[in-house]
Amino acid sequence: MDLAIQTKDLGRVYKIRGSKKEKARELIALKDVNLEVKRGELFGLLGPNGAGKTTLIKILTTLLAPSSGFAKVAGFDVIQEAEKVRPRINMVSGGESSGYGLLTVRENLWMFAQFYGIPSKVANQRISDLLKIVHLEDRINTKSSDLSTGLRQKMNIVRGFLTDPDVLFLDEPTLGLDVEASRDVRKFVEGWVAENPQRTLLLTTHYMVEADELCDRVAIINAGRVLACDSPTNLKRQLQQDAIYRMEVSPLNGLGPDSFEQLKGVNKALHEAKDGFSILELMLAEDDALGSVVNMLTSRDIHILNLQKREPTLEDVFVTLVGKSMMEVESGDGG
Amino acid sequence: MQAAQSVPTPAVAAERGIIQRTLRSAAWLGWQIESNWTDPLIFIIYSVIKPLASASILVVMYSVITGGNFDSPIFPYIYLGNAFYIYVAAVLNGVSWCVIEDREQYRMLKYIYIAPVVIPVYLLGRGFAKFVFGSLAVFITISFGVLFLNVPLDLAQVDWPLFVLSLFLGLLMLAMMGLTLGSVILLIVNNVYFVGEAVAGALFLFSGAIFPLDVLPAWLRPIGYIIPITYWLELVRRALIGSVAESFQTLAGFSNGQLIGILVSLTIVFTIIAFVTFRYCDHQAREKGYIDRVTNF
Amino acid sequence: MATVDRVYKNTGARLFLQTIVGRAYPRVVGLLRERTWFFFDVLLPVISVSAYVFIYRAIQAPDIYIGFVVMGGAMTAFWLNILWAMSSQMYWEKETGNLALYIMAPNSLMAILLGMALGGLFATSQRALVITLAGLFLFGVQIQVSSYLLLFSVFMLTMIALYGMGMMTASLFLLLNREAWHFSNMAQEPVYLASGFYFPIKSFDFWIAAGASIIPLTLGLDAMRQLSFPGGVELGFIHVNIEVAVLAVLSIVFLFGARWLLGFMERLAIREGRLTDARR
Repeated sequence: MDLAIQTKDLGRVYKIRGSKKEKARELIALKDVNLEVKRGELFGLLGPNGAGKTTLIKILTTLLAPSSGFAKVAGFDVIQEAEKVRPRINMVSGGESSGYGLLTVRENLWMFAQFYGIPSKVANQRISDLLKIVHLEDRINTKSSDLSTGLRQKMNIVRGFLTDPDVLFLDEPTLGLDVEASRDVRKFVEGWVAENPQRTLLLTTHYMVEADELCDRVAIINAGRVLACDSPTNLKRQLQQDAIYRMEVSPLNGLGPDSFEQLKGVNKALHEAKDGFSILELMLAEDDALGSVVNMLTSRDIHILNLQKREPTLEDVFVTLVGKSMMEVESGDGG
Repeated sequence: MQAAQSVPTPAVAAERGIIQRTLRSAAWLGWQIESNWTDPLIFIIYSVIKPLASASILVVMYSVITGGNFDSPIFPYIYLGNAFYIYVAAVLNGVSWCVIEDREQYRMLKYIYIAPVVIPVYLLGRGFAKFVFGSLAVFITISFGVLFLNVPLDLAQVDWPLFVLSLFLGLLMLAMMGLTLGSVILLIVNNVYFVGEAVAGALFLFSGAIFPLDVLPAWLRPIGYIIPITYWLELVRRALIGSVAESFQTLAGFSNGQLIGILVSLTIVFTIIAFVTFRYCDHQAREKGYIDRVTNF
Repeated sequence: MATVDRVYKNTGARLFLQTIVGRAYPRVVGLLRERTWFFFDVLLPVISVSAYVFIYRAIQAPDIYIGFVVMGGAMTAFWLNILWAMSSQMYWEKETGNLALYIMAPNSLMAILLGMALGGLFATSQRALVITLAGLFLFGVQIQVSSYLLLFSVFMLTMIALYGMGMMTASLFLLLNREAWHFSNMAQEPVYLASGFYFPIKSFDFWIAAGASIIPLTLGLDAMRQLSFPGGVELGFIHVNIEVAVLAVLSIVFLFGARWLLGFMERLAIREGRLTDARR
């Protein structure tokens, strides 16, 4: 099998110390990560903030050494053969502020092209072509300090593709982009991978829709561990037997999700309080379990305002694996 | 947005206690930034090495030519002037450099701007920590000179009221110069290293710090006479070692009272310049969108 | 599925040169677009150096010392270029996120540093030139060059050794954060003192001067003074030929040392995770 990315028992531990007097404590950022990404795949890494996605990307892009295990990119070890990995990769992070504000968009991109050995004539042509694709060609001679956050991110994305890498790492690339720009980028990314079977792309995101739409396979990561790795369809298929309902109800008056989970047939209940109403997301073992939920609500004089049955999403897969929604994990709520 | 709308009038600001709050918060922040970059041992080494190396350059230059004659009054003249000149770089840098630091490095300037603080007061407060560390450097330099280089400083002979008054006026004057420089920096990018030090280095020539103004060509001396630093250093010398100051005729015709009067007048002039410059540069920076400009340069 | 032509990329020496040019570009262009540097980086320092000229005049030093100050003042430009355009610049690049991108690219960190230094050299050489011209025309410094070829060779060897040393110190800065700024600041006056920027290094005890000779500017300045000023030889530390030999050795040692240390420090920074943490 021709692997673009391979990790085996990959781990990374950080030593954290608050003040100089405090004893250093260990933070496990990654533990026993085993991944195999085939050449030509558009692979997603999905997880909440602090899950270890960026740490993994840093290791794969030769910027950080693992504490245990190994990683290979384009067939080369990221530590022992870093000089062979680097010509074949590139990375774009969301919200990055690379380059120099006094240089124009074209000059910044040209500069980075020089670091990869791309001749100036070729670089300038590629810059023009790529800027057209992201609709930034009219700002080619604008100083990058004069760009908005979203436009600057578009420039960063062009920087990633400019060097024609074999493996491209996109770390939350649509951060800061508006809906239309995000759509353009996603479309371009899909086309870029499809255009050449030698190209591989690893995308990290915490936008489920993005992972669902784009990726051939997705690894769900939380607290440094990979919990599942499969195509979005297969991951969701695991929940197909569950019935997923979304209810809008009047305020729950202190009734918590665990009250619903005690009912027979209710696998998982999530609750979100809104202004004047609440949203209940229920994963039921079977449709019949809905009756007991309705009974509980009506017995406490809680009105049902809206009821929808929906297909499982990757968010539901995450909840099933972790026991909390991504938002709850990020906010540290018990859920 | 007009500059007049961006800064509350002094009366309004004072009424609300904004000035005290701004000064206190800025001084605390400046202290945090300056004081926790390393462990105490390295900090002590840094605090000692830098001012002593600077003073030692002059000491070596002097002793190479004069054969180490530290008893001549010119030596304490040079040494004291150089020691107190540390304040010039420290305060100028402390007040002005934080504009670039906050804008480019910490990316915080825009948040400070939208907070209910008085920006000039904020800049002055940020310079407080540099003043404190500058004081340490001045103390170390003078102590070294007294202990090892025969600088004839006798604490019992010091005119303390004159010293305290001139030090206070001098620091106020330097703060206003620093504010002027900080205002100008609102309009330039991070391509100058320690702008405050560069300006201080240039003023070194004209302020009579390390040689009497009479040494300068006649056409350059008037510059020295309009810089308040010249009068400040003369007052400090008179307060600390009166006999040294008396040996040089440059400002001998002025009494202490006259020098204080000149220093106060020039400080007022520079205060006006500082606030006028700030209003202009602040307005220009807002017009051109420089407050949150990040050049990574 | 149709295949796409891959982009051609240079490697080896071509990539090295391209990287130097690429990294020098922002500094040169930036200076042209923001011209206040000429006032703060050139004119003001000239005035500052002049202060040392007048100190010597105040204590009635022989004219040769004025020449020493002018030459030393001109050379401060190169030392400051090392400190601020190379060494602590690594800290700045880390803060902005550019350092990670430089390391991830297939170029050499040496080339990046050389690019930084050469880019800064534009302003540096202006500063050195203006100070020298001020010395010649404003202060009437008399020069009498005994050998232009030797003078040029000394200057080039000094620069090679100095920039090699600069690359070595820059590699240390890969591990530093905010303290990088202060360490660079701390290295200004002590080096001016130890290397005799404003006075002949012969003034020091032999072994102190010998120890200070590890800084290339020490012997470089001394040799250039001996070659440039009437009476310079009498105030020289050791014979120019010995100084040239030492500078040649330092050049080689520092260049190879830089290559080794950059690799070592990069690996260390990658192991400790210091390349990308922007601890302001």
